[in-house]
Amino acid sequence: MVSLTVAWTTIFDIGHFGNTGLPIDYRILQAQAIILVVAIGAQMLAGLFAERREGEAHLVRSNAMLERERDNKLLNAQAITASIAHEVRQPLAAIATYAHACDRLLSLPDPELGEIQAALRQIAEQAVRAGDIIRRLRSLAPDENTQHGPADVNAVIAELTDLIQSDAKAHGVTYRAELATDLPQITLDRAQIQQVVLNLVRNALEALALAQLDTKEVIVSTRRSPEGEVEIAVCDNGPGVDSQIAGRMFDPFSTTKTAGTGLGLAISRTIVRAHGGSLEHFPHVPAGACFAIRLPLDAPG
Amino acid sequence: MKEPSPIVFVVDDDEAVRNSLRLLLKSVGLAASALATAREFLDTYRPNQPGCLVLDVRMPGMSGMELQQQLNIRGAVIPVIFISGHGDIPMAVEAMQQGAFDFLQKPFRDQDLIDRIQRALVKDQTNRAELKERARIQERLTSLTPREREVLTLVASGKPNKVMAGDLGVSQRTVEIHRARVMEKMGASSLAQLVRMVMDLDEPGASDA
Repeated sequence: MVSLTVAWTTIFDIGHFGNTGLPIDYRILQAQAIILVVAIGAQMLAGLFAERREGEAHLVRSNAMLERERDNKLLNAQAITASIAHEVRQPLAAIATYAHACDRLLSLPDPELGEIQAALRQIAEQAVRAGDIIRRLRSLAPDENTQHGPADVNAVIAELTDLIQSDAKAHGVTYRAELATDLPQITLDRAQIQQVVLNLVRNALEALALAQLDTKEVIVSTRRSPEGEVEIAVCDNGPGVDSQIAGRMFDPFSTTKTAGTGLGLAISRTIVRAHGGSLEHFPHVPAGACFAIRLPLDAPG
Repeated sequence: MKEPSPIVFVVDDDEAVRNSLRLLLKSVGLAASALATAREFLDTYRPNQPGCLVLDVRMPGMSGMELQQQLNIRGAVIPVIFISGHGDIPMAVEAMQQGAFDFLQKPFRDQDLIDRIQRALVKDQTNRAELKERARIQERLTSLTPREREVLTLVASGKPNKVMAGDLGVSQRTVEIHRARVMEKMGASSLAQLVRMVMDLDEPGASDA
């Protein structure tokens, strides 16, 4: 991405904006050469990701593996790589196509420079977008040096209050926490579990954004489950999950959002399962959706 | 009536991909129409518009594959070139089995796409010519009298006039007259041509892939 940005800066410096002393044709040739470099760079990057393609196809096909695998550190890495590959291909495709188009447009007898300039700006913007996607997906990934330790689940949730509060406010949603008082400490990776909770809250906020409601509400609650596990539930009063989607919403790449990766729930479930727990969806009564994370108590002794 | 000139339809939910494709198509002088959703395409597409469809596989709402199924159900002949961000081979195989014209993984080389589009447009033209021819034959067929239709079926199945005369209980001379009328009405200059017309009609969609 850095090299693309550099190439972009260079285009601006030596395109028809700079070096005005040069004859037009020469400058166009120069720009064309740089555009080609950009296009080739995009193809090379795509090639890098293509090497991971096998792993990706494998992941999509064998969700059963997701179901079984408990020791899933590797799986997490695979899911992240696959999603980066897929998501980044969109801006890369746009970059390559814009660059090719500019190249062809500049070869026309009387090129429309305004149009070409707009395309070049898009190339830069898409390169930045590709970088953002990688950053966003990295943030979904659990930290490499994971830190498991005993924790008070309520405190883990409480630390998120400000973050959730401001997010909820921005969406016109009321946030409420209902925390049980009788919870034992359990061993967990704080950052990972917080990541899952935040992810579920974001999903809820996005679902609520589409709903026409007087009061929009997200509730994060904790309790002992009937089976004695520690449960964290994220509930909303939005439209709920369509029964058609409910069956496959934990599958990688299944998304109903226009800007989603379709990986949030898949990764969340993977993280929770790595804790020996479960992540399930329940309809929220009377309306909306609930996602319950259940984490086992530490083995005695 | 002059046939409208071909349009390359692009359906991709990614705005940047969509716009870049539109510009690329413009740069090679192809008329393009870029849409964000499969639904928009279905709602606006007129079957008599020649062209081809460059279609993203995975989109929120109706996916590219679902759009292809819808088009198949409606009997649309527009060739579909799938573009996908996934290196998902089973998906590509399925799309091809459903009659996709081609499948390209993002990002692609411009020439690869343009070559495929050119071929798809040729294919579309062939499809349309075949459909038109079929409709013409069908129309001529309806101008036949019931008896002439009977004669046509018998001729096509290779029966000599003498046998037909027996089958229909008429004179050989009458059969000859009917037969000449059938040839004339169907616009067939030879028996072979007449037989081919009947076979074409018997096998709807039996064009070369």
